[in-house]
Amino acid sequence: MEMFYLSLFLVSVTTIALRLYAILPRPTKRVSAITKEGDKATCSLSVFLGSGGHTSELLAMISGLDFHRYQPRIYYVSEGDTLSANKAIALEKSKASAGGSTQVHETSSPSSATAFVPERSSSTSESEDVLPYTIVVIPRARRVHQSLLTTPATALVSLFWCQYHVSLSSVFRPKTNPSKPTRDEATSVLILNGPGTCLTLCLAVYVNKFFALPSPVIIYIESFARVKSLSLSGKLIRPLVDRFIVQWPQLLQDVKMAEYHGWLV
Amino acid sequence: MRAFVTVGSTKFDDLVQHSLTEEVLLSLRNEGYTSLGVQCGNSNFEFASVVADGSEHALERAGVSVEVWKFKPSLEGEFDKADLVISHAGAGTILDVLRKGKRLIVVPNETLLDNHQSELAIALEEKGHLKSSTVTGLAQVIEDVHKVNLTPFPPFDGHKFAGILDETMGFL
Repeated sequence: MEMFYLSLFLVSVTTIALRLYAILPRPTKRVSAITKEGDKATCSLSVFLGSGGHTSELLAMISGLDFHRYQPRIYYVSEGDTLSANKAIALEKSKASAGGSTQVHETSSPSSATAFVPERSSSTSESEDVLPYTIVVIPRARRVHQSLLTTPATALVSLFWCQYHVSLSSVFRPKTNPSKPTRDEATSVLILNGPGTCLTLCLAVYVNKFFALPSPVIIYIESFARVKSLSLSGKLIRPLVDRFIVQWPQLLQDVKMAEYHGWLV
Repeated sequence: MRAFVTVGSTKFDDLVQHSLTEEVLLSLRNEGYTSLGVQCGNSNFEFASVVADGSEHALERAGVSVEVWKFKPSLEGEFDKADLVISHAGAGTILDVLRKGKRLIVVPNETLLDNHQSELAIALEEKGHLKSSTVTGLAQVIEDVHKVNLTPFPPFDGHKFAGILDETMGFL
């Protein structure tokens, strides 16, 4: 009987290990999703706004995107980070008033931190001018001064919560325009730039990958402030992402699979 | 001309206190500065208790009129008004000030354990975009920064990241 459980255990471990190996990004793998449909297609965009400098850098980067192409958009913010949510709303407003063009916007003006942050401020695209976006608040994995004993529980809640939203956004994504081509799994992208909480979203995507559910392409961009050494979240997330981009060439020497395309902020 | 000292949301006692010394103020005066703004954040220094309630403290020292205060909702207007910005090494402040084409002296806070911020200051100094300084060397660097031609910082280019993402997602 013990032999049976032992072999069952070994088979399970081996299966899980092989599955994990199979879903990890390959250096040679080219991510190419919408080659045939060309610019008629859209791509769903999810970003995590990690507060402070992380938020500023990420919003600056996506301010140059064609928002008609990258829709719907989901902004994940940490519980209580109203400043990031307001900055995202400000960017959406300025893009909407500019007709969603690729025009470059300043994202540095911080708005009042007291404004109400809706759980879902989504607007479905009835007309072409309405740009659909959603702000999703992630429960904190660990509150300041929270006991280490209860941390695993709240961290799990945070993970499951992210998992639910990642699955929801990739599986049941509503079509914004029925005439547009059906978006397959690869036509959604998750952009992360730290700090630690962004790992939760990345892990949530891996739960989807593990069960062969639709999952987004993950891109991580290391901060402009990181010249010689990666941040902790950068180090941890590097093997898990499809593209790992740094903003200083000095980092290319030590970091496998990293890419450098100049300053992006 | 006007100079502006900022520490962002940090606590940087040495920089704030040293900015108000005769040595630094005279050095500013010699370069033609008559006014100085000091955003002191949570720093502890000689007027910390005076500005604790969020008020502004004005003083005249070494021929420079100085205003000290803790925070403002946005520093953009302060950067616009200033001809020289002296800042802690925060990446956000560095980007904002350089993009405005202002002279910048960065003073990394050496009392912090994680020194990646001074790496950024040094790397940008090597490229000629700014001058970095220690707290005690500030008066000298104020003199030096007016003798060199700083390299203009490239403007923000939103097409770079858009290109990367479009390529990844098969739009190109």
